[in-house]
Amino acid sequence: MSVLKDLNELISNGIITKEIASNIENYYNSKKSDSTNKLFIVFGILGAILVGLGIILILAHNWDNLSRFTKTILAFTPLLIGQLICGYVLLTKRKNVAWRESASTFLFFSVGASISLVSQIYNIPGNINTFVLTWMLLCLPLVYLLKSSITSLLYIIGITYFACNSSYWSYPNKESYEFWLLLILIIPHYYNLFKNSPKGNFLIFHNWFIPLSIIITLGTLSHNYEKLMYLVYISLFGLYLIIGETDYFKNNKLRNNSYKVLGSVGTLITLLILSFNEFWGKLQTVEFIFLKLLDYIEIATIVIITCAAVILFFIQKTYQSIKNSSLIEYVFLLFIPIFLVGLYSSISVILINLLIFIIGILTIKKGSNLNHLGVLNFGLILITVLVICRFFDTDLSFVLRGLLFVSVGAGFFIANYLMLKKRKNEK
Amino acid sequence: MKSKTILFSLFILIVLVQLYIPLKMILGEEDVLTNGKEFKFETAPVDPVDPFRGKYISLRFKNNTFPIENKEDWARNEEVFVILKNNINGFAEIDTIVHKKPLESIDFIKTKVQYVYAYKKEKTISVKYPFERFYMEEFKAKEAELLAADTFKDTTKTIYASVFIKNGKAVLNNVFIDKIPIKDLVSKKEN
Repeated sequence: MSVLKDLNELISNGIITKEIASNIENYYNSKKSDSTNKLFIVFGILGAILVGLGIILILAHNWDNLSRFTKTILAFTPLLIGQLICGYVLLTKRKNVAWRESASTFLFFSVGASISLVSQIYNIPGNINTFVLTWMLLCLPLVYLLKSSITSLLYIIGITYFACNSSYWSYPNKESYEFWLLLILIIPHYYNLFKNSPKGNFLIFHNWFIPLSIIITLGTLSHNYEKLMYLVYISLFGLYLIIGETDYFKNNKLRNNSYKVLGSVGTLITLLILSFNEFWGKLQTVEFIFLKLLDYIEIATIVIITCAAVILFFIQKTYQSIKNSSLIEYVFLLFIPIFLVGLYSSISVILINLLIFIIGILTIKKGSNLNHLGVLNFGLILITVLVICRFFDTDLSFVLRGLLFVSVGAGFFIANYLMLKKRKNEK
Repeated sequence: MKSKTILFSLFILIVLVQLYIPLKMILGEEDVLTNGKEFKFETAPVDPVDPFRGKYISLRFKNNTFPIENKEDWARNEEVFVILKNNINGFAEIDTIVHKKPLESIDFIKTKVQYVYAYKKEKTISVKYPFERFYMEEFKAKEAELLAADTFKDTTKTIYASVFIKNGKAVLNNVFIDKIPIKDLVSKKEN
């Protein structure tokens, strides 16, 4: 560190006292040990993942010459090793994050390996869902006993896969309500991370993994009324935007504010999908018949998520001034009447297109006010995408479409040029 | 100190559960292999189109369809019980398929309906046998598939799977080509 090199010079010239110099030295030394510790954790986990996967691959070779008994012993070996290491860590190195995380990661893979190897030895074709479910449940306690966040992240991936596999990828597909229960089981760990290490990297990872997992699996709840799922998704993204605007997240960098990123991107993508005429045409033909409990559950999901978003929104707005919020935060609220109108009339498609256009314009304006090229171009891109979407489903003449493109392209040049010029003048 | 003891006791409990699950699987399979009854299932050509899953060979069985009377009585992926019998050649055949679990003394397999087929007067269902994968040594699986495909062209030879059955549970023990285990044939060919 160059500052440390200069300390002697600074002391001899009387700029700082010896005491301050030693304080500076101590500060940088502690920082250094912190980053080496982080490196240890990362390499420890990577090592454990690689060794764990490597062992699975080696055993998967399935030697014919070995007896069934020997193969079985081999299947248990990594599991026992993993358990012994975890036991050792629990007894003697409980405070060491690197040890805890690597040991539990290794055990996580060993559990999966031993179950799948037993299946291989006995030619069990096995149901992949039961396998993943058993694996995840056997490893969930490690999250709490060893306070292992990597195991928690792997668990979230596992249960998301489970939900997708049992719902989207099977025929006849069914809803996987178990997923929500499994997700609740990980929430205490998430809460602990919030409480104990609000600035930690593991929390940032959880902040991405959990909302993403919910986005992926929410669709599994759809049963009869797929179209209504758009309402749920828009409300969910609205909910994410509200969470992203809370004090904790607001002061974070954008890449660490997962809820805001997912909420904005999700809202815009859903709006763009809904900007096509096709969806609204079909929506009017949906008939609402409640025959089974499942239909009620589907409707209940929609009502609960939408209500939650609306209530939280109003609670938040009583604390924060409306001036500081952007239009995209209101989209889910505006979407409810648009959607209801859409059940009877096709005017909704125009309203959606108008909404996207206004969001684009306001974003460009915001970018120009903030003197932020990123925000400005994001607004421009949004309008471009909207124009491209309309390119496909309108009967406008080619000349008109061409002119539209040219004007949007020119808009890009002019907006960026003006912004850069403004910056130059300010200098 | 107290919390450490509790934590460690909980950990030991988890360790035991983690060991118990695979152990239970093993004991269940071993029980069928030692106490179950052996059936020989003639297999159709082994599926050779799966190069990515070379570790095992997929078996397709000849006798997996059964005539039905009413299409509406059966649904795809529905759980059913297949009662078995041996034909004159000593290979397993479907005696009947029922919805309710039969008595333990009867030889049956718990499985699922794969397809319900109905065209004019021909109405059948096919079942998915729960032993379609035969794991082999990594480099031998492909060779075994080719060997099985060759054998199928030769009408004088038969390929069959030896499966042990007990109280609805089936365990695939080995795959034979004319009474010689396929693993041995592949090894012989390699030498």
